[in-house]
Amino acid sequence: MDLTTATDMDSYKLLNLALRKGGDYADLYFEQTTFHSIVLRDGEVNAASTHNEGGLGIRVVSGQNTGYAYTESSLPRDREEAARTASHIAQGLIRTSQPAAIATLNLPDRYRIVKPWEEFSPQEKMPFLYDLNDRIFSADKRVKKVTAQLSDSTSQIEIYNSLGIHCADIRPMASLSVSCVMESGGQRESASSSRSFRMGGEFLTPGLIEELAREIIDRTSFLFGAKQPNGGEMPVVMAAGGSGILLHEAIGHAFEADFARKKVSIFSDMMGKRVCSPGITVIDDGTIAGNRGSLNVDDEGVPGQKTYMVTDGILTSFLHDRISARYFQAEPTGNGRRESFRYMPLPRMRATYMDNGPDTEEALIASVKKGLYVDTFSNGQVQIGAGDFTFYVKSGYLIENGKLTQPIKDTNIIGNGPEALARITGVANNCAIDNGTWTCGKEQSCAVSCGMPSVLVSSLTVGGRV
Amino acid sequence: MCDYALQGALRKGAQHARVAAISNTANELSVLNDSIETIQKAVDSSLMIHLFVDGRYGTCSTNKADPAGIDKLLDDAVASVRLLAPDPFRILVPGELRYEGDPLYSAHRGSVDTGVKKAFLSGCAASVWGKDPALISVTAGYSDYRRWLHLADTDGLNCTSEETWYSLSVECAVRGRGDARPSDWDYLGGIKPENIGIGKETPCTCAATALERALSKRNPGKIASGRYPVIVENRVAATLLAPLIEAMSGSSLQQQNSFLLDKLGKSIASPALTLIDNPHRKGSPGYRFFDNEGLRTAKRTVIESGRLNTFFLSTYYALKMQMPPTISSPSLLFLKGGKGSAATIAGSMKNGIFVTGFNGGNCNTATGDFSYGIEGYKVENGQITYPVNEMVMTGNMLDLWNRLLAAGDDALTTMSWQIPSLLFDNIEFAGL
Repeated sequence: MDLTTATDMDSYKLLNLALRKGGDYADLYFEQTTFHSIVLRDGEVNAASTHNEGGLGIRVVSGQNTGYAYTESSLPRDREEAARTASHIAQGLIRTSQPAAIATLNLPDRYRIVKPWEEFSPQEKMPFLYDLNDRIFSADKRVKKVTAQLSDSTSQIEIYNSLGIHCADIRPMASLSVSCVMESGGQRESASSSRSFRMGGEFLTPGLIEELAREIIDRTSFLFGAKQPNGGEMPVVMAAGGSGILLHEAIGHAFEADFARKKVSIFSDMMGKRVCSPGITVIDDGTIAGNRGSLNVDDEGVPGQKTYMVTDGILTSFLHDRISARYFQAEPTGNGRRESFRYMPLPRMRATYMDNGPDTEEALIASVKKGLYVDTFSNGQVQIGAGDFTFYVKSGYLIENGKLTQPIKDTNIIGNGPEALARITGVANNCAIDNGTWTCGKEQSCAVSCGMPSVLVSSLTVGGRV
Repeated sequence: MCDYALQGALRKGAQHARVAAISNTANELSVLNDSIETIQKAVDSSLMIHLFVDGRYGTCSTNKADPAGIDKLLDDAVASVRLLAPDPFRILVPGELRYEGDPLYSAHRGSVDTGVKKAFLSGCAASVWGKDPALISVTAGYSDYRRWLHLADTDGLNCTSEETWYSLSVECAVRGRGDARPSDWDYLGGIKPENIGIGKETPCTCAATALERALSKRNPGKIASGRYPVIVENRVAATLLAPLIEAMSGSSLQQQNSFLLDKLGKSIASPALTLIDNPHRKGSPGYRFFDNEGLRTAKRTVIESGRLNTFFLSTYYALKMQMPPTISSPSLLFLKGGKGSAATIAGSMKNGIFVTGFNGGNCNTATGDFSYGIEGYKVENGQITYPVNEMVMTGNMLDLWNRLLAAGDDALTTMSWQIPSLLFDNIEFAGL
C-alpha cells in the first residue's frame, strides 16, 4: 500500500463519498507499518521475523453511531467501496455534512527517531541479546534458561477528516523482553522483565542491557524465598512505578467516556464530584517524550495532550474520543486510539499516573501494623459497571509492625474502584513511570504506560491462604 | 501467490520454505438499546513465509501479496535469516506426519442480508428494552466471518480449509446498589446463521438471559474468608483449565517453565478428570485437520482419569526435547462430564460458592500457584442464593485438580473448549 497515492483531492472525494447518505463526521486513516522481531533462546539468536502491512480505514459517524470499513488495497474502486460501506450507518438520503477544506496540522515531535529501525540490521541487534544472555547466566549459577525478544515497529499514519484536518505522524516502538528460569534444590522459579519506548535503534544501549539483566536476576532469585500470603482484607502499600496498574484498572477504564456515554460505568454520573481524598491528582498523559503511551496526534487527528482526570480529588475529565466529546459537549482529549487501520477508534488510555503527594514510602510502610507491600505486577482487569478491579502481584513483602518481613508472590488483589480510591490514605513523593511493555486490551490492543508514587490503600482484599 | 512465494524463496537461496495464506471477510453489527450503533466490514488477507536458509530459520509476512512486494520481502528476509545462528531443530513437517487429504470445509454457503441482520439484532434488543425499570442498556452484537486458509511447503504439504462462524452476543447493564451497574451476557455461535437464530421462528432468548443474570447480581457482598466447596460454571471453567494446557505446551516444557515438566504418565488430577482433544467433530469450533505447520490432527485422550497422557509438541519442541511430535496446541477439548447442571450439582452442597465469573488473576506456570478474582453466588443448603463478589480464589493447580469431585453434563457447544460445570472440594477463598 502506498500512502502517497492518496492525494488531498483523492481524500476529499472519499470523504464526500462516505458522507453521501448523511452523517456528522467522517475520517480516513491511512497506515503503513513494518514490524521486526528477533529471539534469543537456549543461548542463540536463531529466529527472526519481519511483517509489513498497510491499509485504509474509513469511518462515518452519525450521532453516536459508527459505520466502519477498511481495505488493504490502494485501488480507487476498493477504497470507494469501503467508503460506501461505512456510509450505510447514516440513514438519510440527504447529505447533512460536507467535508471542509483541508488544512495540515503542525505537530510536536515527542519521539524523534535518531536511528531508523530499517537501517538497523539483525547483525547489529544480535550482540545486545547475546550480552544480555551472558550477563544473566554469569550473574547466578541457578539460571537454567533465558529467553529474550527484541521487537521494533515503525508506523506511518496519515489522517484526513471532514473537519478539514490533515495530519501525518511517524510512530516508532521498541520493546525488549526477557524471561529467566532458575532452579535450586529442585525448586524452579521464573520471572520476566521488559522495557519499551517510542524510539528508534538508539533504544539499544549497554546501559539498558545491564539494567534489565540486574532486574531479571533480582526478580527471579527473590521468588525462592517468597510465599503466597495469607488472604483477607488488609492495608496495602503499593510501590512506585508499576503500581500505576491500580489507576489503569480502578479508574482509567471507568473514565473512558464511551462507557460513561452509555451509562454503564460506575463513574457515569460522578463528573464534578469527589472520588478521592483531597490532594490526589490523576493524569492521563500523551506528551511524555519517548513514552510508550505518547502520541503527537491521536488516531482521530486530535493533538496528543495531557488530561487531568482527577484534580485534587474531584473527577474533572473523562477520556474522550470525538463521539463522546460531542455527546458531553466537551473538547476531545486526544484519547481516540485504535490498534491499526483495521479498527475504529475508541477512548483509550495513554500514560496514566498520579501526581506526587507529601509522604515518604518509608512513612507509609511504618504506619501499617499488618498488611502487604507490593512492587511487581503482571496483569489486571476491571468490571466497568460493578467497579470491581484486580491486579496480579508477582512480588512483594508482608508488612508487620511497620517493617517489611516475609517476601510474598503470586497473589491477586481485588477491590472496588470508588471504594479503593476513597481508601487511598497516603501518597508518597516518589512518582515513577513503569516503562514495561504494558498493553491494554479493550476489543483491540493499545500500547500504554502507567505510573504512581507509592501509596497506601487502607483496605483491599488480598488473595491467599486462609 | 503461494506457489510464487515458495518458488521465490527457493530462487533466493532457501533450501526449504512453508507458506500460509489467509483470506478473511468479516462483518459486525451492533445495536445499543433501540438503534443501530455500529456497522463494520472487513476484507483482508495475509501471506506468511517460513524460510529455512543454510540451516537457519526466520519468517516474513505481508498483507500485500503482489509479485514485486513478495520479491522484495524475500530478498530482505533471506538476507536477514543468513545473519542468524543455525537452528538444526527447525524442520518442515515430515511426510508421514503431515496432513494429506481433502480440504476442510466447515462453512455456510450463503450470506446474510444486511437488512436481515439489522432486523434480527433490533428484535433481540427490543425483547428486553424498556421491559424492566432497572435496565440501563442492552447491547446486541452480531458478527460473521468467512476464513480461507492455505498451507503449503516445498516438500509437498498442501492443505486448505474454509470456515464460517456466526455469533450473537448480548450484554445487559442494570442499576445496582448506589452507582454500581452490574452487567451480564449471553452468547450463541455456530457455522450457520440459523445456529444463532436467524431465520428461525422461535424468538432469541439471549437478551432475556443476559438481563436475568444481570438482575440477579444486584447487591452483592463478600463473605468470610475460608475453605469452601466450589462449583465453577460451564461458561468460565476453561479459565481454570488454561494453566494446565499452557504447562503442557512445548514452549513452556522445553524452557523448563512448567509445573508439569516431569509429570508425563503420572497422576496429576483426581480420577474425575478425563480430557479429550477431538479435532474431527464437524460443526464445532476448533474442528480442524491440521495445525499451523501442517501436522495431522488426531483424537487424543490428553488426561485420562487424572493421568497425564500427552504434551502438546510441535516438530520444533519435540526435536529439542527428543520426543515424538504430537500437535502444537489442542483443537477441540472435551472434559468428560457426568450428570447435571450447575444447579443440580449445587443441590448436594450445604455451604459453598458458585463461581460464574473470574476477574483477573494469573497462574505461575513454573510452580502452578494461582490466584483469581471471582464473582458468583453463595450456595446454602442446596440452593443458589445471594450474589457474592470482590473475593479471590487462591491455590496451586495440581492441588486444585486433585480436588475435582464431579463434572456436570452442561458443556456449551459454542466454544472450542467444551467444559461442563465443575465441582471442587475445599478451595481457599479470601474475602472478609
